[in-house]
Amino acid sequence: MYSKIAAPLMALTLLAGCGMMDDMAPSGADNRGSSAALAVGDMAPEFTMPDIWGQTHTLSGQLANKRGVVLYFAMWCPICDSHMQSIMRGPLKNHPDVDFLIVDYVSGTVEGGKQAAMAGGYAQSPFIILVDERQKVMKSFGATMGTTVVIGKDLVIRMIEDYKSQTQLEEALAGL
Amino acid sequence: MNVRTHSLSRLGLGGRNVRPALAGFVIAALALICSAPAPAQAGSCCGGGGGAALVLPKSGEWMLDVSFNMEVYDGYWNREGKILPDAPGSDLKQFRLNLGYAKRIADRWQVSAVVPMVRNENYYENSRTTSFDTGDTTISLLYETFDVVTCVWSVESLEDLVPAAYLGLVFTIPTGISPFDDAERSFDVTGRGFYRLDASASVEKTIWPWTLAFSYSYGIHMERPVNREYGHWVEPYNKRLGDRRSFSLSGGYTYFMETDDTITFTISYSDLWEGTAMIGGEPDPATGLRKRAVSGVLAFSNMDKSFMAKLGYSQAVKQEGWGENFPITDIVTAGVTYVF
Repeated sequence: MYSKIAAPLMALTLLAGCGMMDDMAPSGADNRGSSAALAVGDMAPEFTMPDIWGQTHTLSGQLANKRGVVLYFAMWCPICDSHMQSIMRGPLKNHPDVDFLIVDYVSGTVEGGKQAAMAGGYAQSPFIILVDERQKVMKSFGATMGTTVVIGKDLVIRMIEDYKSQTQLEEALAGL
Repeated sequence: MNVRTHSLSRLGLGGRNVRPALAGFVIAALALICSAPAPAQAGSCCGGGGGAALVLPKSGEWMLDVSFNMEVYDGYWNREGKILPDAPGSDLKQFRLNLGYAKRIADRWQVSAVVPMVRNENYYENSRTTSFDTGDTTISLLYETFDVVTCVWSVESLEDLVPAAYLGLVFTIPTGISPFDDAERSFDVTGRGFYRLDASASVEKTIWPWTLAFSYSYGIHMERPVNREYGHWVEPYNKRLGDRRSFSLSGGYTYFMETDDTITFTISYSDLWEGTAMIGGEPDPATGLRKRAVSGVLAFSNMDKSFMAKLGYSQAVKQEGWGENFPITDIVTAGVTYVF
């Protein structure tokens, strides 16, 4: 009898799990450096983006007078809000010599980005909010929601991964 | 015995015989409602695609269930419970097709599995993305604490007040696409990437035509290693999502048609919490959530209760403080069930 029960259950599970073994059997292997995606130690690609007030910013321009730059890729969702609040409460306060740039990659216009930042309560925040109108910067960094990139004055990437904690970001900033 | 009971008896469904099927029908409707809020499984940016647990009627040997969900996003609660809008010009939806199978393995025991197929549609001012993949699969084991269904037409003794109780275990298998799988964008996510074990208890009492039910569940996520985030290999670390608990309170009314088919309308209030996730022993500031929702389900069942059709609507209570750190969504559900 039990084979009759198990067979359909197993079939459903196998159907569902086909090709998704990464999550079903997760690995802790360190594979960094084994893909073409940007990684720590790579040179950051230059970018040019407008902020929500219409002023143009470039990576090299931001680094001219600062020790480093933090990019945070946001799509105005609850996770992004939690991350940005966490960054604002800790690392942003502790590092006045670093620029903290929010990259809005879902608003297609400066006006749209401004409206989103205002609705989220970030228009007057200490962040510089940039609008990635055609998602060129998002693609060049291989970024998505929550991707946090720390770039030193030498344009070398010191961190590129999901935001996890103030501690994680502080450690990357300490290396600048 | 009233006329309606006579009518059912004539069809071989009266008295004690009618109760298992009808109770199962009501429970199935309640199960649908209880599953409907399931917010941490539904969000496209937070993971999605969880299916509903199935409940086989007492008289059924096995059951097939197909249901369809459409979830529409309408802003979100931040960590302080304040309501914030989605990005201007955005239109965010998730569609789920849930394929379910349930089988009775003993008089009081049943097992089931639900596999959801998930389609994400995320339209923003400057991008339109769609993705389609499997969601997270659930396998359930359910124990019924009763041999004879406890639904009654009237209360004539204390025994008539005894409710039906169910105890269950639900195992979630991460068959969806999570941020730690082969996903490059948050828009592709259809699952959370973690195994979870939920223990649930539900109590239900029907005094025809009214039904009242309460359910509670507590779930524990298993810790897992992570070495990739959205296509970027990262320094490996261990992550464990927070414990999850939920309860729901439901009330239903069943209308018996002249043909002895039934229509049941059930309303439900649900509350869901999830604790903060831990990354390498440190709290993840983006995690932890709460969502409260109200739901309604209209369900039709044929005379011998072998076929059911369901239409439901679940609305997150869009009030400040009624949710935390989670999207505000409305969910429309339609489904059919066939019991063998």
